[in-house]
Amino acid sequence: MFKNYLTIAWRSLQKNKLYASINVFGLVLGLAVYLFANLLVAYERSHDLFFTNSDRIFTVGSHFSPTANIGINETDGVYSAFAPFFEAEVENVEAVARTIGREYLLSVDNDHYYETVRFADAELLEIFDFTYLGGDASALDDPMGIVLNREMATKLFGTTDVVGRTVLLDHDHALRVRAVIEDLPPNTHLAGNFLDDEGTAVIATLEALNTIDGYALEGNWNNLSMGDYTYMLMPAGTTKAELQPQLDAIYERHFPRKDLLVVDGIKVRKLVEANYVLWDAIGLPILESIRILGLLVLIVAIVNYTNLATAQSLGRSREIGLRKTMGATRGQLVIQFLVESLFVAFIAMVIALALVELLIPLFNVAMDKGLAINHLRELPWLIITTVLVGVVAGAYPAYTITQASPINALQNSGAKGLKGGFFRSIMLGLQFSITIFMLAMVMVMFTQNQKIESASEIYPKSQIITLSRLGVDSLMPRLETLRNELLTIPGVTGVSYTSQLPFEQSNSQFNASLEATGEAEDFLLTNIVIDEQWSAVFDVPLLAGRFLDPTRSADSMSEDATAANVIVNQLALERLGFGTPEAALGRVFYDLRQDSESRSLTIVGVLPDQNYQGFHNQIKPTVFRQIPERFRFAAIRVEGVAMGQAFSAVEDVWEEIVPDYPIQSRFLDDEFNETFQVYGGLSSVLGGFAGLALLLSLIGLFGLAAFMAAGRTKEIGVRKVMGASMTQIVRLLIWQFSKPVLWSLLVALPLAFLAANAYLSFFAERISYALPIVGGAGMLAVVFAWIIVAIHATRVARANPIHALRYE
Amino acid sequence: MLKLHNLSKVYRTAEVETVALNAVNVEIDSGEFVAIMGPSGCGKSTLLNIIGMLDTPTGGNYFFRDEDIASYPEARLSDLRKRNIGFIFQSFNLIDELSVAENIELALLYHDDISASERRDRVASIMDKVGIAHRAKHMPSQLSGGQQQRVAVARAVVGGQALILADEPTGNLDSTHGQEVMEMLQGLNEEGTTIVMVTHSAAHSDYARRTINLFDGHVVTENLRAVG
Repeated sequence: MFKNYLTIAWRSLQKNKLYASINVFGLVLGLAVYLFANLLVAYERSHDLFFTNSDRIFTVGSHFSPTANIGINETDGVYSAFAPFFEAEVENVEAVARTIGREYLLSVDNDHYYETVRFADAELLEIFDFTYLGGDASALDDPMGIVLNREMATKLFGTTDVVGRTVLLDHDHALRVRAVIEDLPPNTHLAGNFLDDEGTAVIATLEALNTIDGYALEGNWNNLSMGDYTYMLMPAGTTKAELQPQLDAIYERHFPRKDLLVVDGIKVRKLVEANYVLWDAIGLPILESIRILGLLVLIVAIVNYTNLATAQSLGRSREIGLRKTMGATRGQLVIQFLVESLFVAFIAMVIALALVELLIPLFNVAMDKGLAINHLRELPWLIITTVLVGVVAGAYPAYTITQASPINALQNSGAKGLKGGFFRSIMLGLQFSITIFMLAMVMVMFTQNQKIESASEIYPKSQIITLSRLGVDSLMPRLETLRNELLTIPGVTGVSYTSQLPFEQSNSQFNASLEATGEAEDFLLTNIVIDEQWSAVFDVPLLAGRFLDPTRSADSMSEDATAANVIVNQLALERLGFGTPEAALGRVFYDLRQDSESRSLTIVGVLPDQNYQGFHNQIKPTVFRQIPERFRFAAIRVEGVAMGQAFSAVEDVWEEIVPDYPIQSRFLDDEFNETFQVYGGLSSVLGGFAGLALLLSLIGLFGLAAFMAAGRTKEIGVRKVMGASMTQIVRLLIWQFSKPVLWSLLVALPLAFLAANAYLSFFAERISYALPIVGGAGMLAVVFAWIIVAIHATRVARANPIHALRYE
Repeated sequence: MLKLHNLSKVYRTAEVETVALNAVNVEIDSGEFVAIMGPSGCGKSTLLNIIGMLDTPTGGNYFFRDEDIASYPEARLSDLRKRNIGFIFQSFNLIDELSVAENIELALLYHDDISASERRDRVASIMDKVGIAHRAKHMPSQLSGGQQQRVAVARAVVGGQALILADEPTGNLDSTHGQEVMEMLQGLNEEGTTIVMVTHSAAHSDYARRTINLFDGHVVTENLRAVG
């Protein structure tokens, strides 16, 4: 019996090859996308599980107050001064380790490399069980000891047998290699996140950082950087729910800067979450979205199958009638049809798996990931998916086709083409709703990306070369010489030193007030360090006043200055309540510093509001000051000559003045593109999904139109005999399909509009015309649908009515 | 074998009531060969469908082997049908995707009590009997109309059915093939199978020993042909 089902299934697939390939192809696409999305999400959610203690390791992050206005909800680390309290006050805590990532120049003999060094408490090696190629977990007990991974050891020394060798940090500090560890697989948060791909290749002690940079070992309450994790090792079985109240209490008891309204709480997470905490932080539920999108594409594919199979099964009503006549019960026939759809689902699953297997290596290389299908482990899931898809897809056709009484089934071979039309219309509508929704989102994201790109044009980014890592003590005295030399390069019109470059997601804020005593209301202002050439290099015009002037000493301040001249933007003026730009000139406000006297700031110039800090930061009230100790970057404006030529001239100048540090130069364009690729990548992923959904929907529509038209052959024949023109018939058929598609617009467009607005709210500079774009996506889908149906309708309408009528 | 008593069938829609069969009384004994004749729309096919338990009457009684089955539920009718009744259709109704042997086997598939090996044996022997064994692996589309109808006959009797219902079995065949099929039916009848056949052809109705003439849902006449 079963064999007979399979025979029939296989042969009816073969008999109608177009139909079969559309059906299998559709399911393959749907399944492949679904499998891939789930594998990716599962992969992202299973990081770090290879550490023996992964269940017992927790990280603590900071939650930002909604009023902090820094574009993210939380970050993955806490102020380093929290750690001693965790150690002392969290019950049963076994070990606490802080890590601080800093970039330093590492030298071995005459080779110099900029590398991120992860400074950590010695307990880090107790918490994570690395595989040691040399040395052991006591490596960091030596304050000047360092741990290298295999890759770094090989890069620095050409071998991994380097325990006892010395690495020179920043030309001054000798660190001893105490251990070499095996490289970590890509599925760990220690390999870096999507914002920076700095892995964990060099580990040193916090004591070393203290020696090198005066880092206070007890920690501080003023620096939060992404990737600087604080870990806690707890006894087995500890839950987040047990830890969170203790952490809340520690925050309440010890956090001294609640008044700042920036960090409003600290939050425990399991180690496995460390990998995706930043998505939560940005507020883009990216993993959930990928999973839902994958499911939606699969649903579109299933609906496709259901619709086509139902339409096609009408052509098999004679077989049904016959089987019933032979004594088949309805249950047996339902099972037969389900076996067929299971069979198709199985074939599709095998092909989809093969496809995913082919894609994974490409994806892994492109995205630096380690996805893999563990077939044995995934088997139950794969089987369940196959069966579910087969049963869900086949249930409706099986139900409809076996419904007819045997006589009807025998007599009306395929004639009842319109039966079940309502259900199929609903299905078609559902399919198009999903497609239109995704299409609209892609178009909104795409337009928004265009917007970001064009917004970034406020700065002449294609004419700027940047230098970074200037914040080194030994470089500071040479910056003026460097600037002067750079200015001699033909085409270089300006060199500006700053604390941060445009588009960089970095926030430095301070407490400001109109009163030095702090008696008046205080509020947060954003702080950007610039110099006198900044306005010229970045083409930012002043609204009022003058720019900073190198000849006036009050225009440049040192860290301990008590008074200085500053430039502010318009938002800062509003925040300070100083009225118009002109009226604000000469007005004074105060920087309320924590441990020292308030500093008075006098406004000498006003800048327009521009988004300097990346794409989803709102433009903030900002104060621009010149503090030479805080210069980190140089921006070199080049005009009238080829950028490449200027670039190598810059390298030559650097080599001459700073021979002891490798140059870190880039084009500002590239910096932008790097930050931008998160959004670009996001919209291409969604674009791919939406494209597939549209393709599937159109394929489905095509197949359905074919069958529906076939079901109306006689009607069309009669109409033609009565004198209907071809256009009238084409219109008739198009209308039949337009109705569900138009209904789907009503469902999809409002949802897409809401989703688009939610997405757009992440951006400071956003398109204001989501509605026409969403509407346009709907139109596009309808036009595509019309074209597909029209092609078919024309063919049917053109046929000679005699053929249509002869077949009864 | 079966007895219809005051059997009627009325099709009702919201506005129209169509009487297809009106108080039909027919009795058919085991081993009979009965032809049902009449003009288009007289109720022949309805009568055959009711006898074949594919349709249920709206009034009267249908005694099949002394059981009144007029009000039996579908599942029970289905079971009775598959054990007792074979069908032959004007348009053959073979399944295009199945080979000759598989089409015949289909009639046995829904019998739980027949094993796979027994199915094979029965199919083989019936194919021999109707002379299409050499075509066992062919698909219906590769056969002539006469051959297709022979397959259909084989399928109708392979389950050992005692009653064959044939709805214009020769309607789609030329006279030579029609003749062949009629002779095959006659042969089956001589072996004891009861046959009820709807036909338009007076010549083919001569194979039957009794002819029932229907007109507008009534039995008009019953002619008994003298056994020659």
